[in-house]
Amino acid sequence: MERFPDLELPDHTARPRRLSELAGGDPLALVTSRGWWCPKEQRFLRGLVALQDEFEVAYSRIVVLSVDPPEVQSAFRAGLGARFTFLSDHERRYVEQLGLRETTDTVHDPYLPAAFMLHPDLWVHSSYNGYWFWGRPTPQEIREDMRAITRAIRPDWDPPR
Amino acid sequence: MSIRWDGESLTRNGAGRRFRIDLRCTAGEPVDDAWAHVCALPDPAAALRYDEPEVQQARRDALAWFIPLLGDELVCLTTLALDASLFGGAITVARSPRAFADDPFARLFPGTVVRTSLFSIVPPPPGPAIERYSGLAWPGGQFHNR
Repeated sequence: MERFPDLELPDHTARPRRLSELAGGDPLALVTSRGWWCPKEQRFLRGLVALQDEFEVAYSRIVVLSVDPPEVQSAFRAGLGARFTFLSDHERRYVEQLGLRETTDTVHDPYLPAAFMLHPDLWVHSSYNGYWFWGRPTPQEIREDMRAITRAIRPDWDPPR
Repeated sequence: MSIRWDGESLTRNGAGRRFRIDLRCTAGEPVDDAWAHVCALPDPAAALRYDEPEVQQARRDALAWFIPLLGDELVCLTTLALDASLFGGAITVARSPRAFADDPFARLFPGTVVRTSLFSIVPPPPGPAIERYSGLAWPGGQFHNR
């Protein structure tokens, strides 16, 4: 297990944010995404939007990271109906450090699609390579990862008696 | 931390109905002459349960579009807790009242616009969580992990 870098990037409103602040003491599903224009990303993120109805009551967070500028992310987020945060690495500050540059797309120069299920302190519980769509985590795999992290970090997972 | 509202002015210790707020909203350097949209009534009977669907939906709407609509003008946003389960309204603080007409919390209790220098800048909630932590005023608080 390794710790994910504590990214400092603007969110979809261009406000500076830090990944650990966004986690806020809760488990975090971090998804890197090619961008709004990719049909596979649109489909996957619609699935995350469906899953946000569970996250909203489960003390867990979702963050999406892409190279889209904040104003583009804001429009995409609104179109999806997402209620979670998008981080914009439009300057591509972290793509090399994370080893997530999609070298086969020389037009958009985007992030590789990937997903990281993180502890609140950003330790990586599991990761998924989503270059091919079937490599991405299913909603059930995300639930199982969130369950495992929550069980590990919440001292009252077993109800107090 | 609590705030008092008499229908016309917000104070820390003055007259009016007492509400618990997100502690972070008064923890930093206050923003002078900000605008507050107070969606609450001084009437002590004006309360809803946090878990009622219309209160949940107002929080979802705040995350989905109201906070993005406020953009850089947002100073902070807090719901107003009366106790572990009761909701008395919400306050949105901004550098301009431009977007207050769209405040989703005004569907629950009517909004009043006032000037205030009580509140400090708090990063907006990252979403999608709308549940409260141990009965605190949303979006404040967090659990302490191992």
